[in-house]
Amino acid sequence: MTQRSQHARRRAPRLVLLAAAGLLAVGSATAATITLNETGSSLLYPLFNLWVPAYTRAHPEVQINTASTGSGTGIAQSIEGLVQFGASDAYLSDAQMKKNPEMLNIPVAISSQMINYNLPGLNNVHLKLNGTVVAGMYDGSVRYWDDAALKKLNPGVALPHDLIVTVHRTDGSGDTFMFSQFLSFTDKTWEQKVGYGTSVNWPAVPGAIGANGNPGMVSAVKSTPYSVAYIGVSFQGQTDKDGLGEAMLQNRAGNFVMINETTVPAAAAAMVPKTPRDERISMIYAPGAESYPIINYEYVMVKSRQPNAETASEIKKFLRWAVSTEGGNSLQFLKQVNFLPLPASARALTLQQINQIH
Amino acid sequence: MRPGDALFRVIVTAFAALIPLILLALLAFLVHDSWPALRFNGIEFFTRNAWNLGNQYGNPVTVRGEQVMPGASFAILFLIVGTLASSLIALLLAVPLGVGAAVFLAEAVPPRIRTYASLLVELLASVPSVVFGLWGYVVLIPFLSRHVYPHMARWLGFIPFFGPPSGSGYGLLTAGIVLALMCVPLIAANLREAIENTPQELREAGLAVGATRFEVVRKIVLPRLRLPLIGVSTLALGRALGETMAVLMISGNALNILPQNIYSPISTMASFMVSQLDSALQDPTNMAIYGIAEIGLALLLLSLLVNALARLLVPRSLSA
Amino acid sequence: MNAGAATPTQDRGRQRRRALSSMLGWIASGLAFVLLAFALLDILHTVFVRGFAALNLQLFLTPTSGIAGGLLNAIEGSALITFGALLLAVPIGVLGGIYVSEFGREYFARAVRFIADVLVGVPSIVFGLFGYLTMVTALGWHFSLAAGCITLAMMIAPYILRTTELALRGVSGELREAGYALGASQANLVLRVLLRECAPRVLTGILLAMAISMGETAPLIYTVNWSNYYWNGHLTHESVAYLTYVIWSFINEPFSSAHALAYAAALLITLFVLLITLLARLSLSRLEVRRSS
Repeated sequence: MTQRSQHARRRAPRLVLLAAAGLLAVGSATAATITLNETGSSLLYPLFNLWVPAYTRAHPEVQINTASTGSGTGIAQSIEGLVQFGASDAYLSDAQMKKNPEMLNIPVAISSQMINYNLPGLNNVHLKLNGTVVAGMYDGSVRYWDDAALKKLNPGVALPHDLIVTVHRTDGSGDTFMFSQFLSFTDKTWEQKVGYGTSVNWPAVPGAIGANGNPGMVSAVKSTPYSVAYIGVSFQGQTDKDGLGEAMLQNRAGNFVMINETTVPAAAAAMVPKTPRDERISMIYAPGAESYPIINYEYVMVKSRQPNAETASEIKKFLRWAVSTEGGNSLQFLKQVNFLPLPASARALTLQQINQIH
Repeated sequence: MRPGDALFRVIVTAFAALIPLILLALLAFLVHDSWPALRFNGIEFFTRNAWNLGNQYGNPVTVRGEQVMPGASFAILFLIVGTLASSLIALLLAVPLGVGAAVFLAEAVPPRIRTYASLLVELLASVPSVVFGLWGYVVLIPFLSRHVYPHMARWLGFIPFFGPPSGSGYGLLTAGIVLALMCVPLIAANLREAIENTPQELREAGLAVGATRFEVVRKIVLPRLRLPLIGVSTLALGRALGETMAVLMISGNALNILPQNIYSPISTMASFMVSQLDSALQDPTNMAIYGIAEIGLALLLLSLLVNALARLLVPRSLSA
Repeated sequence: MNAGAATPTQDRGRQRRRALSSMLGWIASGLAFVLLAFALLDILHTVFVRGFAALNLQLFLTPTSGIAGGLLNAIEGSALITFGALLLAVPIGVLGGIYVSEFGREYFARAVRFIADVLVGVPSIVFGLFGYLTMVTALGWHFSLAAGCITLAMMIAPYILRTTELALRGVSGELREAGYALGASQANLVLRVLLRECAPRVLTGILLAMAISMGETAPLIYTVNWSNYYWNGHLTHESVAYLTYVIWSFINEPFSSAHALAYAAALLITLFVLLITLLARLSLSRLEVRRSS
């Protein structure tokens, strides 16, 4: 037996012990507090990332984990009780509510959705699109950027003869819900063949790509010339910075509108008064000359019955802060992600729902 | 037998018995959780392109004795094609590359630096899948989609499946290339060792009859290694079939569509399981999650089959 | 390369053709090697250059906060998950390996060896799905350290079993015979003599298993999920952070702070895994050289 091998043999266990000791030291250095978990909508995620540091600084007794996983995950994991807050751009269906009557759909803000594209040389032009043409792109009946239907909407624009690469979400997504609802409300064929949901049966279009989350959509469109995608408005800063095109959409009144400080509030004003007590309502394709056609409530899914009173009261405290105009609904936060605060009547309904948590 | 030895034997046997138990647990729970899907989907699961959660905002209906959402259907032909095609492309690239690198390392590199030189190939095996995905995403896809695929589509368009459109870079060939890099070390390392272990007399006999050194390798050394090469390639195939993260990040995640050409977006069974589990969990009837479990079961059985085959071909090699 | 060494043949043209095709053969095999080496170096270059640019002291001192901050929670989590997985898998793997090697002729031992071999090839996502369906939901542990550790342990135990078995079988027969001749019991012989003799090789297998679990992502996404905080000491019901999640999730974000974290995490995990592998490989090859000389 050589000296070196003896040496190596003795050293090995000591290394393992050292590693173990190091781990224990790190592990025990943390104190016990209440941890709340949030997961879901990548559209709501940037807002949660502004909220949480501000809120936990004032309330050090609570820790809040955030994750951008898609509304589908947010819904599923809040129902399973894996997280306390399931962020979603879509409300639960009647069937889901029947199966999980303890779920609350709590709106915390109003959001909207863009349709973006990457057309080299034309990204500074706001192309005019309507639901039928977009549905055509996504079901494969409109294959090229210079399709007659696109040309008709955009006279004078030198549209290229290149294949349209449609990008859709692979994760269960509230953006997919909003987008497919817009297409269902505007295009009969889409409504019958595909319908709407957080995941839909995307028509098989050659070359179509799937991307993960709004961030994945931005990256995919940015890196793929001639692509088109639907992206939540909280990523508008990023799509502008990346120089992506943003479409003007035709609303119910027939006008072409873009997201701005008039069109989104106009759509909200038309729909908010119709909000039912459980606040599950689609605000897509709102009436009104100026209304932007794709807006929605951003929901946080919460179980009304929590495992203990302490958790319940921390959840309520956070949500009340999130929807108050001095707290999370102040423009200081919402402006950064281009969301609208809840209108007063919706806030009243939301507070009633928050009070049901126990 | 001494009592101490009997106890020793009982203890080590008990621990060893946990290994078959792991396999049994995998099989039992996956069969259990996919049972409703097996009954609902039947054989069509493998023959159609229809992964459709149905109308999630409708009310559940009863079809073939199972509760599902209206219009729901679960069929994964496109995943099977995507999985097999990407793995096959990976193998077609990895075998020649692996054999070439092994021959070069064993025959042309001086023994003194051979260990270090072979690390340059074999360390590819230890790069984590997600790092491959990162590299594919930030380096490979922009490069291939701009500088390689358009030219391939133009000049090689006469070969079936090589013609335009050359796509976005996310797709079958990109996945195949990255998978090839991930499983080439397995082939290169095993083959290099086998070449080094070829008896010296055989080479000398070849050189004595006037063959060049390369001819000795090609005509005498390599033909003897055909069976181990098939075995280790099968192992590599097994690895490629189940790769998840890298493929998820670069394959384009196609849904319900077969690839039109080698640049088309695809999905594989493994990557689909990651990307769709969360959507599936929203299905109030749970049928979608049973469907995911059925994909898992199919992938498990496929990998068991391929790996068992590989083990029978190379009884003594160990994948690393 | 002394390709195509001259041989006495009448037909010079044929000889030249053979020399040429041999030369081309060497070039092709050399190119295969260069291409693969280039791929590895380019991966390392990408990860190292972008990773080092993103490194700063804060990464090692603070946890992630949203998509910015540090990586200490992820470093801690990766270490905990790997350590926990090894804690469970090493006894199973090593003791199971002893069984398979020392009672190798029994039918059950052959079956265990075969199953372990096959399990090594089962895709990690299948283990992840299993962990999700059983521990996370059915047992109600939620996303947790325990679910992740057990899932990874199931993956790497068969690997450790096979490396341990091969290590033990590599011990020379003389040592065994000498042991039995001196009247040692089997338990004593294996534990005191054989296992010590091949300890470096057993350890190598364990190190490689550690590298595998460090680099895993897919099974952890559905058993551990993600946390922005340090581990709070709970084995179940609380998720923890880990480095590979940062890579997969943050590179997709369109923000440069998120990209920086992803590159830094990729650098750390790649560096760590490569170091372990190199340590294992080089110490093993040095060992082989010593044995054979």
